[in-house]
Amino acid sequence: MLEAPGTLVVGSEVPNLLEPGFAATLVVSQDLDIGVPVDGHAALKERLPGLREFEPSADEPSVWTPRSPDLLELNFVGMDSKQDPAEAYVLEDDRLPLLVFGGLALLSPGPQIELEGGMVRLPRLAGLCLEKLVTGRTGEKGERDLLVALALLTLARPADLEELEGLYRRLKPEARHAVFAHLTILSLLGPRDGMPDPRPWRNEVGALLRRLEAQGQKP
Amino acid sequence: MTTPSLDRQVRELRSQLLVRSWEYRQRHHAHGVWFRFRRVLVDAKEAYAIPRPEAEALIANGSHAEPVGSELQPPKLIIFVPAERVRAIPTARSLEVRLSADLLQAECLALVPFEGVSR
Repeated sequence: MLEAPGTLVVGSEVPNLLEPGFAATLVVSQDLDIGVPVDGHAALKERLPGLREFEPSADEPSVWTPRSPDLLELNFVGMDSKQDPAEAYVLEDDRLPLLVFGGLALLSPGPQIELEGGMVRLPRLAGLCLEKLVTGRTGEKGERDLLVALALLTLARPADLEELEGLYRRLKPEARHAVFAHLTILSLLGPRDGMPDPRPWRNEVGALLRRLEAQGQKP
Repeated sequence: MTTPSLDRQVRELRSQLLVRSWEYRQRHHAHGVWFRFRRVLVDAKEAYAIPRPEAEALIANGSHAEPVGSELQPPKLIIFVPAERVRAIPTARSLEVRLSADLLQAECLALVPFEGVSR
């Protein structure tokens, strides 16, 4: 499934897989988010019969639940590079309908890693980090998303931050303000089990905010 | 195949985007005060609750009060000061830099900026 053309791992497992040796020490994930490009949906569906260790959820058709407790749930989400990041729609399908998140339009294919004999494509760090910062979820899910963004920031190299800055400049003012607002929230979050502790990283989070402000793009 | 759960999620996302638009329009108005308050705290490495006379003395000696403090009700005196100045105040009480009850209840806040941050 993960080798289907254009398919990316897009959720909280990404920082774990970007760690040296895929150490997976940063985030305790609840599921594996698989980003499916809308123009690659048909090709991915052909591979569904090979997904023998999972079965579709009766409640949520884009979720496949594992038959073994040792495996993570799979959550398929749609990606449409032509979509406005502030929109969402449902890609109707009888076998694998997808919720297409506009924020995922910020993602582009990044490194490919070899994992247990298979090749897994990850998104570029900058786009995923910005997607987590721009998406306005509330409550626990929102805080977890911000801490995933933090996990990515802890791994970011200078070139990743430059790329993030470039992507930020292309956002509409309302989305830029959302990034600012979420960075201020991230800077003041307390620790949470299974997630990186944001307190030692407050200066880096503030530095990113000030860097984006310095672009003259302050919302 | 009908997808009521996905349709519901789309509706929820669109509701959140409406809230985001509202927050954006409010950014310079009353409801934007929380964003502006958080923005000030982002630059603070340390925070201390200090007595009002100490805060007023700092202002008399050239520190300036952050405007967002007067937008809150009851108002707060929020002042950025160098670490050595605040440590010279024996009654200064250290607070964690987050939106805790302790920090929100403090009438006067002395904030120590991160190195290189000018306020």
